[in-house]
Amino acid sequence: MIYRFCLSVLAVLVGAAITGGAASAHPHVWITVKSELVYAPDGSVTGVRHAWTFDDMFSVFALQGLDSKKKGEYTREELAPLADVNVTSLKEYDFFTYAKANGGKLEFNDPQAGYYLDYNTKESVLTLFFTLPLKAPVKAKDLSLEVYDREYFVDFSFAEKDPVKLVGAPAQCKLSVARPQEMSAALSQQLSQLGPNQRDPSLTVGAEFANKILVKCP
Amino acid sequence: MSVKPVVGGRPVVHFALVIAALAGLMLVAGALDAALAQGGPFGAPRAQAPAPPMGGVLGWIFAKQAEFYRQFSSLIRAAKADGSVAWGLFGLSFLYGVFHAAGPGHGKAVISSYMVANEETWVRGVVLSFASALLQALVAVVLVGIAAALLNATAATMKRAVDLIEILSYSLIILIGVRLLWVKGRVFLTTLRALHRPAAVGAAVTPAHSLHGLGHHDHQHDHAHDHAHAHGHGHAHADHDHDHHQHCDGHAQDHAHHHHDHDDHASAWGHAHAPEPEELAGPGGWKRGLSAIVAVGLRPCSGAILVLVFALAQGLFWTGVVSTFIMGLGTAITVAAIATIAVFAKSWAKRFADTRSGYGMLVMRGIEAGAALVIIGFGVLLLTGYMVSERMVGL
Repeated sequence: MIYRFCLSVLAVLVGAAITGGAASAHPHVWITVKSELVYAPDGSVTGVRHAWTFDDMFSVFALQGLDSKKKGEYTREELAPLADVNVTSLKEYDFFTYAKANGGKLEFNDPQAGYYLDYNTKESVLTLFFTLPLKAPVKAKDLSLEVYDREYFVDFSFAEKDPVKLVGAPAQCKLSVARPQEMSAALSQQLSQLGPNQRDPSLTVGAEFANKILVKCP
Repeated sequence: MSVKPVVGGRPVVHFALVIAALAGLMLVAGALDAALAQGGPFGAPRAQAPAPPMGGVLGWIFAKQAEFYRQFSSLIRAAKADGSVAWGLFGLSFLYGVFHAAGPGHGKAVISSYMVANEETWVRGVVLSFASALLQALVAVVLVGIAAALLNATAATMKRAVDLIEILSYSLIILIGVRLLWVKGRVFLTTLRALHRPAAVGAAVTPAHSLHGLGHHDHQHDHAHDHAHAHGHGHAHADHDHDHHQHCDGHAQDHAHHHHDHDDHASAWGHAHAPEPEELAGPGGWKRGLSAIVAVGLRPCSGAILVLVFALAQGLFWTGVVSTFIMGLGTAITVAAIATIAVFAKSWAKRFADTRSGYGMLVMRGIEAGAALVIIGFGVLLLTGYMVSERMVGL
């Protein structure tokens, strides 16, 4: 009996080590997101236009070893190879972009040609511009778009100002943006009252933390 | 003295119970951890740091790390104008290191498992932790120093280098685990068999049990030479097992956990058997830990690489180097603390196990073999990319 208790101590240690290890890393890259939902004249959504601004530490890291004519400045052409690398590696992570329409998951094609990187010399940050076309344009009463990294290596957040725009959307469509920072005081209160082993099925905390765009059209 | 029931089926039942309990507890521990991560007093996001996708203690650790990490770039920039800011940067690096290691990472998990699998002293745990953390810092500095500072290589090139190092590091972890499992698993099976055949073992067993500590040594020297040498270290595992069977009947668990003469073979990569603590001070003892240091310390922290490259771009490479080593120091302190807990937990368990001869031994050997399995598990998960401890984004 006693050593079974000791076993439990060891098991807890090992278990903690395993779950600790399996959890994801803390973010090393911060991205500020501005997105546009693009609509066709018939009112269907055709894709998402992203402008992602990386934090300065990562931007400087990404620029390491890159040649430029003028020191400390980079033109779009000089950044083109880097933009290629960006887009290619983002493919592996589904561009961190998840969309749903009328309850079903939407699929994206690879970004259209014409993606590019801009370098802001003053703030020494890179911004990646790219457009993700939907495999099939869709007319949606309820559309949701989320941008996040499951592994939380990249921290996404919507820009403070004008994070999302609807381009060419029917006039009646309504847009709302949920940010991770916007967890209500009520929710955090509720969370803090849960015991360590309890889970309240009515709370969907993961979703609350994501950057989510909701578009409702009649 | 002997707890062994003479009735045939009983030991199996006991053993199954112990294993079931162990498995169950692991599950509970995992679930508990997951639950802790779900909701807790720290669920509320802080104003400054971006909210992590979880609350609980882990969430708080993540938030803190992120908060510290976010300040690096502005501090390095400020240090460019005012050298005294560098002290603030070093302090922050230390805190970041402490928190970084408390969060997920294969380092502390592998080292702790290694400590449990082997009969290690806490001093060795501390030394292993510090050595691996400093090696980790050194690798980051050398990598960025050569690739970025000297060769002006691109971030993509550095990523490829890190990927290679990563594969090497994770493979080494698997090798260490396999090596340990090979030794500890065999010991476990022999102990098990000895318990299963009380009749066959007869009188030979009883003294071994009662003279747990010292008596052993006499025994093992007699037997070790016959077997261990004969089997050698090749890979004729199958034959080996058979030989073993036959001998076991005679010598019971004596040669179960003592193959002293293996020392030289083992030292190269992972330490082969369970030596008594006092043996570890010997030259071979420290050498054996080297494999663990290298396996864990080889893979540099992505954070350190980013900080170094950023500092380099600001013309403050050496400030970045100092900051990286201080980060390593912070990491080492946390890992050392966790490794020490693992060592004491095990020796505590061993104290109780010792009072229960047969089964106590079996359980201890089982825990050791289990820890070896955990190391292999970590290595495989890391190598296959199923578990991500660090990622170099080639964005």
